[in-house]
Amino acid sequence: MSLLPSMIEIVRDNWLLLLVGQYPNGPLGGIAATLILSVLGIALAFPLSVAMALASLSPWRALRWPVMAMVYITRGVPLLLIILWVYFVLPLLIGHSVPAFATMLVTLVGYEAAFLSEIVRAGIHALPKGQMDAARALGHSRLGAMRYVILPQALFNMIPSILSQFVSTVKETTLGYIINVPELTFAAGQINNRLLTKPFEVYFILAISYFIVCWTLTQAINMVERRITARRTAGVAAASALPATAASASGA
Amino acid sequence: MIEFVAVHKFFGSLAALTDVNAEVNRGEVVVVCGPSGSGKSTLIRTVNRLEEIQSGSVLFEGKDVHAKLGGTALNRLRSRIGFVFQSFNLFPHLSALDNVMLSPMKVNGVRRSDARETALRLLDRVGLSAKAQNYPAQLSGGQQQRVAIARALAMEPPAMLFDEPTSALDPEMVGEVLSVMRGLARDGMTMMCVTHEMNFARDVADRVWFMDAGRVLETGAPVDFFRSPQHPRAQRFLSDLHSR
Ligand SMILES: Nc1ncnc2c1ncn2[C@@H]1O[C@H](COP(=O)(O)OP(=O)(O)OP(=O)(O)O)[C@@H](O)[C@H]1O
Ligand SMILES: [Mg+2]
Repeated sequence: MSLLPSMIEIVRDNWLLLLVGQYPNGPLGGIAATLILSVLGIALAFPLSVAMALASLSPWRALRWPVMAMVYITRGVPLLLIILWVYFVLPLLIGHSVPAFATMLVTLVGYEAAFLSEIVRAGIHALPKGQMDAARALGHSRLGAMRYVILPQALFNMIPSILSQFVSTVKETTLGYIINVPELTFAAGQINNRLLTKPFEVYFILAISYFIVCWTLTQAINMVERRITARRTAGVAAASALPATAASASGA
Repeated sequence: MIEFVAVHKFFGSLAALTDVNAEVNRGEVVVVCGPSGSGKSTLIRTVNRLEEIQSGSVLFEGKDVHAKLGGTALNRLRSRIGFVFQSFNLFPHLSALDNVMLSPMKVNGVRRSDARETALRLLDRVGLSAKAQNYPAQLSGGQQQRVAIARALAMEPPAMLFDEPTSALDPEMVGEVLSVMRGLARDGMTMMCVTHEMNFARDVADRVWFMDAGRVLETGAPVDFFRSPQHPRAQRFLSDLHSR
């Protein structure tokens, strides 16, 4: 028996499970859950990460320290362990059980926020110091300068990094499997348990599914990146008759 | 209006400013000159506290800029001191018009329509009404610096500080920026300008301050300074300038 027909057969029999899990008879799962988890994860993590980046750059130690602690923990501890930790400790803390999906979402948001906050921080640092000086000299508060001058530039420059972090997040959602979050990997596990004899085919389908999702997203990112570069060089080209200082200021 | 009283400033162990005592009077134009590294930028940046000082005081309109101030009080003080940088520092994500409108709106709470009207008037004053919608990257260096001057003026500051406003410019663009500055001086603006443009100093300045190694060594009228500088270092500085 050859591989391809058997894989096609598996997909034909199980495509709904792979797409949406047991929905509407059970919880939403499959690719839909994977994407929802990723989108929600990044969407919630992003504003949090900006707040964390601002806190980590603040002159007050009480704001800097908790953020730095969180960043070091996420850098030094595998995500899987953090998931298990939240899974077992969160219910003890709040006194009742938490659905696996929510557990996974909370963990992802915290984890991605810590990562993104480092990206945001780097983006802020990458801007010329003169931008903050100019904003402060005009009378803007630190936060005002961040809001109107620094962040609009830094966040725009970071769009590609943020999107790549989204692709990583899609892959990281697979770890939800360990606490039975009904996402795509979980769906594949269910299929495999039912068929018993075709693990290679099932997990090959799973790999291809992730590949298609991530590859599509990566292509989209590349397109966005090209647009951003085009927009920047268009500005610089229009100003190409100028001294170097002007061009470098616009490259920021 | 701007008064330095026994100002000392260190970068680590390096004395960047040593016992500076000098005053810029209302309506006066002071040109600060001196060799590279003499502390000119540092001095001018202490006026709006972009640099901290270690002792002494800097008074602006009688208020001590370096006193313990709440954040808001310092921001309000800064908004009344126009500052023009060597590297322009326009906000590249905003058009020329928006660069000029931003701070009146966000710092002073001016209504958008009023801010726009003022900004257009100021861009016209610096000769750039046709470029209001351009982004900084689409402007020449001289044009960017003129927008930066308009941006500072939009806060209606009673005094303007310039830190080598023409040093980053191609020679053919220096004139357009200087002529805007001459116009400001003519209108009675209090100005403190760090510049190597000695013709500007000769024609426009009421006094020239000469700095060397963190000290203000001379504060005479331009005629006296250029004809008969007192300090040997000032003499050497001027003769180096001429032999260039
Ligand atoms: N952020 C800093 N950290 C350490 N040292 C500094 C810093 N900024 C300036 N200095 C030093 O302080 C001294 C005065 O510098 P400043 O920039 O005020 O000189 P300047 O007169 O403006 O020179 P230039 O004509 O080159 O602009 C120099 O020795 C300089 O190296
Ligand atoms: Mg300087």
